[in-house]
Amino acid sequence: MLEIKSLGFKYQYKTILSGLSFDAKPGEILHITGPNGSGKTTLMSILAGLRKESAGTIHYRLPDGTTALDRRSFVEYLPAEANALFGKMDAMSNLRLWLRLRGLDDSDNAIRPILKNWELDHPLIRENFSVESFSTGMKRRLALARLELSKTPCWLLDEPLYGLDAKGIDTFQTMLNGHLLSQGITIIVSHDIAPLERFRVRKLDLLHDGRAS
Amino acid sequence: MKTFLAQYRALLWQAVQVEWANAERWLSPLLFSGTMILLFVFTFGTVEPKFIPQLYIAATFLTAFFSLQISFSRVLEPDMQDRVFDQLRTYPISPSAWFLSKYTIVIALGVLILAPTLFLSDLFLNVSGKSLLNGSLAIIALMALLSLGALGVLLSTMMLRSNAKQILYPLIYFPLTIPVLLSAVESSHAILVDGKDLSYLMSSWLGLLVIFGIMYFTLCLLLFGELVKPE
Repeated sequence: MLEIKSLGFKYQYKTILSGLSFDAKPGEILHITGPNGSGKTTLMSILAGLRKESAGTIHYRLPDGTTALDRRSFVEYLPAEANALFGKMDAMSNLRLWLRLRGLDDSDNAIRPILKNWELDHPLIRENFSVESFSTGMKRRLALARLELSKTPCWLLDEPLYGLDAKGIDTFQTMLNGHLLSQGITIIVSHDIAPLERFRVRKLDLLHDGRAS
Repeated sequence: MKTFLAQYRALLWQAVQVEWANAERWLSPLLFSGTMILLFVFTFGTVEPKFIPQLYIAATFLTAFFSLQISFSRVLEPDMQDRVFDQLRTYPISPSAWFLSKYTIVIALGVLILAPTLFLSDLFLNVSGKSLLNGSLAIIALMALLSLGALGVLLSTMMLRSNAKQILYPLIYFPLTIPVLLSAVESSHAILVDGKDLSYLMSSWLGLLVIFGIMYFTLCLLLFGELVKPE
């Protein structure tokens, strides 16, 4: 479980987030909503460990009730408008790198079934074809394949459907369903709410003053 | 330790792949180096034999310094694309493994630039017929590279995290490299002109070079962790 208490964040004397308290439980989707500039992406980057909160605490509770020393081991972040892929490397090399950094199985047998789910398993796509030549949708699918392979219990998804076609959205829904069934946590920022309607979603609405309603 | 090594190897292999795919990144400093040496040759023309070692030292270190700076300042360029650097920061990566992988690739690229620079300088500037290249000179050059490499990685990372990207690098890099360059040049001078050996120099300029190498490496290793942690 991810527990956030009295979270605050200031940027150059401007309060972006203030007194935010919420938790994200296993098997649920927490949908963060709010107008532009309300701090949704800032909140995601704080939860991912990219920014340091100005106030409050963030704890990732392990199933035995103890607090994780480094929550990054349990959290995978998918940023908005970026996929964090090395353009000069091919799909397999990219995935192998991220898996090795987490100490996960990076064999072909582990990677290729997931690539197949995301329709990236063609030999001309997965190897010897740099990711920079991929279309927007293909890059997003590869980033989502990394998310699935990360096997982390907590996913932070900032506009995950960006660039996906109908088939990609369908694959995303299947992946998300599997994650929730395995008691995974999902915190999502998305303006495209239709694909989330089939799931039970809890909402956290951020207001302009940095508080939540 | 196992995780540390696995992460180091993964990041190093990624860096090798990216550098290999971007030949321009290491070819440009190399071509710059060759061009600089040719300019020196044409500028000085025929030099009196007794001044050749001095010219060799000046031309080689000046050329190497600028071409290494070009190379080092670009070492984290691939990580800047598509927010890869940020994604790496969200992973449970050991900052030391991350720094050492970048440091290793920087040293490898540095050797790739430095070795031909030393060789080309000797080939074009030294018309005496007796090569100036020797093991002692190579050790001095390598020691200087080890110090400059650590600074290169740290300052490239600082550039990524700073708003004053363009101005920060030269402002910090040049003053910090002065002791390294000075001791490298003085050590080379003592060997090539005064005929001293390395053991003699350990208590003077070479010793200073070694101390700065250790100091910069340690400082950069520690500071790198500060640069990649949450803002």
